[in-house]
Amino acid sequence: MRVQRIAAVARFELLSVVKRWSYLIATFGLPVFLAVVSGTVLGAQTYFLTQRAAESSQFGLVDEAGVVDAEVFEEREGERVWTANANEVFLYENRDAATTDLESGRLRAVYVVEKEYLSSGEVRAIQSEKTPLLSMRGTTIEPLLRSLLRKSLVEGRLDSDVQERVISPAYFVRSRLGPDGEQVTDVDEALDLLVRTTIPLFLGILLLTALLSASGYLVQTVSTDKESKIVEVLLSSVTPEEILAGKLFGLGAAGLVQFAVWSSMVVFVALTASAALAAVVSIPWQALAVAPLFFILGYLFLGSLMLATAALGANAAESQKLTMGWAMLAILPLMVLVILLDEPNGILGQVMTWIPFTSPLTVIIRLAVDSSGIAWWEVIGAMVVLVVSTWASIRVGARLFRVGFLLTGSMPSLAELWRQAR
Amino acid sequence: MGWAADTLLLVGVLDYRGVSKRFGQHRALEGVSLEVTPGEVFGLLGPNGAGKTTLIRIGLDILRADEGEVSLFGAAPNPKTLDRTAYLPEERGVYRRAKVRELLAYLGRLKGLKRVAARTAADHWLERVGLSRVADQRVESLSKGMTQKVQIAACLMTDPELCVLDEPFSGLDPVNLALVTELIEERRRSGQTTVLSTHMMHQVEALCDRVALIHRGKLVVYGQLDEIRQRYSPNEVIVWSAMDLLAFGVQATQHKTGGWRVELPPSATPAAYLNELVRNGLLIDRYEPLVARMDEIFVSLVGGGR
Repeated sequence: MRVQRIAAVARFELLSVVKRWSYLIATFGLPVFLAVVSGTVLGAQTYFLTQRAAESSQFGLVDEAGVVDAEVFEEREGERVWTANANEVFLYENRDAATTDLESGRLRAVYVVEKEYLSSGEVRAIQSEKTPLLSMRGTTIEPLLRSLLRKSLVEGRLDSDVQERVISPAYFVRSRLGPDGEQVTDVDEALDLLVRTTIPLFLGILLLTALLSASGYLVQTVSTDKESKIVEVLLSSVTPEEILAGKLFGLGAAGLVQFAVWSSMVVFVALTASAALAAVVSIPWQALAVAPLFFILGYLFLGSLMLATAALGANAAESQKLTMGWAMLAILPLMVLVILLDEPNGILGQVMTWIPFTSPLTVIIRLAVDSSGIAWWEVIGAMVVLVVSTWASIRVGARLFRVGFLLTGSMPSLAELWRQAR
Repeated sequence: MGWAADTLLLVGVLDYRGVSKRFGQHRALEGVSLEVTPGEVFGLLGPNGAGKTTLIRIGLDILRADEGEVSLFGAAPNPKTLDRTAYLPEERGVYRRAKVRELLAYLGRLKGLKRVAARTAADHWLERVGLSRVADQRVESLSKGMTQKVQIAACLMTDPELCVLDEPFSGLDPVNLALVTELIEERRRSGQTTVLSTHMMHQVEALCDRVALIHRGKLVVYGQLDEIRQRYSPNEVIVWSAMDLLAFGVQATQHKTGGWRVELPPSATPAAYLNELVRNGLLIDRYEPLVARMDEIFVSLVGGGR
């Protein structure tokens, strides 16, 4: 094979794709679109939170049962006020005075500890018509009032340490048992799961999208060549192998640029989220480091098969149908994603690591979710299997490509294909 | 040295030896042997589906023969020998969204030209075919005839030693037809070889030195154009004379050109018969042996079974 000819084909194919609006929009527009959408959502959220913060956070408390510890309230301009977590709770002597302030809009809500509180536990929460129910629930006032009541009830009746535990019975310290022993995490379990799975999920989806997108371009270019009847002109100048290699490299480069841009977006989002969530988001550097290599290998493997089978189709629609099977095999890891995210190093993950169709996505997900569970020889092994499979698929692909490229009309039988491909 | 030079001259540019090819149950070619010699314009003729394109594809290594041997510049077709050839297929295509100059430069690069050389050649050939003004336009904006000239320019831009042109005249107006004819003549003058596959028999008569007629995958006729025309000509002459030939006892019929069409006796040659007419006192204005036209030969050879 002549490198210069391959380079000429690759350059032409690369420029043909990257000059298209659809490519530019998909590559650069998608991150911008997501940034605009998430920026708008975050901006709107921040705006409403700020607005709410600016609203009155004053509440009224009427203690009809006489159980609330009045010591916590301090005197301020003739009123008794308890300040907690940016909320101000005014203690009223009776319900009427509190209701008047609620109606005037000074208070967001009034809590009445009913006379029969000790037997019924009932605390009435009264809010004005102006205060949406949801915004009431969103405040932290009720847990604070609960703590106040608990403290008031046990004050002076228990030892101080027991009293403290009644008020705050448990403070959960979360830890994870890993290969280096038990490690404490300060992350909530749900948030931890979300953080651990979101980034790998995104990375995996982007890898697959870029793979299928680049392969899609391959199918498209073969169809264009066949439909435009330029095939014979090409074949009288360069060998099918050179065309196949040129197309693979040219469109692969376009796919790699796309993947790089998208991956940068993931890193950016991860870094931003990391800053926002106080460093609980870990960026899967190992997965990101090997991702380009797995993208290239996965693309060459899948792409050569796609090219060969696409060449057998008479037109774009037929080529797409013929290549759909390969795409389905490649997205298999996404179909079992829940299992992979839950048990990245389980038997399914281990098996799919060795199958060339599924290994790129599986390895990336396993590395991203829990890099400690995948051995280095598994990563190397998956690469070796991919390299060997890619070599074989390019060999077979080039022969099928030669035959398929010139085919017109109906599909030949498999026996005929084999005879002509020899 | 002289022997070596002679030997080289004898080596055909493109040789087929017993080439057969089948597609499924269909035999596209059956034992075809022919040779294209250096510097000639070789006509490859035959009805649609005769196997001409398959023969060309095999010669250019686009398809592989099932049986037989092919030699291009004295060797089996390979990337090096293919760089010395160019091909304008009948079902020719272009990248319609590409710009004209870019497309030509790309096709030149595929033939091995360096980037700068490819652009220079593209500009030169666009000038030659009168398309410089559309160099930066997309191919899709060109007319059919202009697109065809771009394709012909792409084929000739590397000055190939062998150029295979499949129906290069179809769709061209008389001006462009003359331009392409001149380009082929120019190639002959500069010693370059051209294989011409066409159904336009008057172009074959005007341009070709030798021809091969393929029918149903088999070589039906092959050789010098003049010799073939002679071989298939009737033993007849046309005599233009103011005198009535019938009065001289000559078996003649009126010909559409205004002359008399005379069938010669089986053993007579046109020259001997002319002498005989003159000896008998016939005054002759013009005398011409009737030579078969290529379209007549074509129809007579392949028309019967169609």
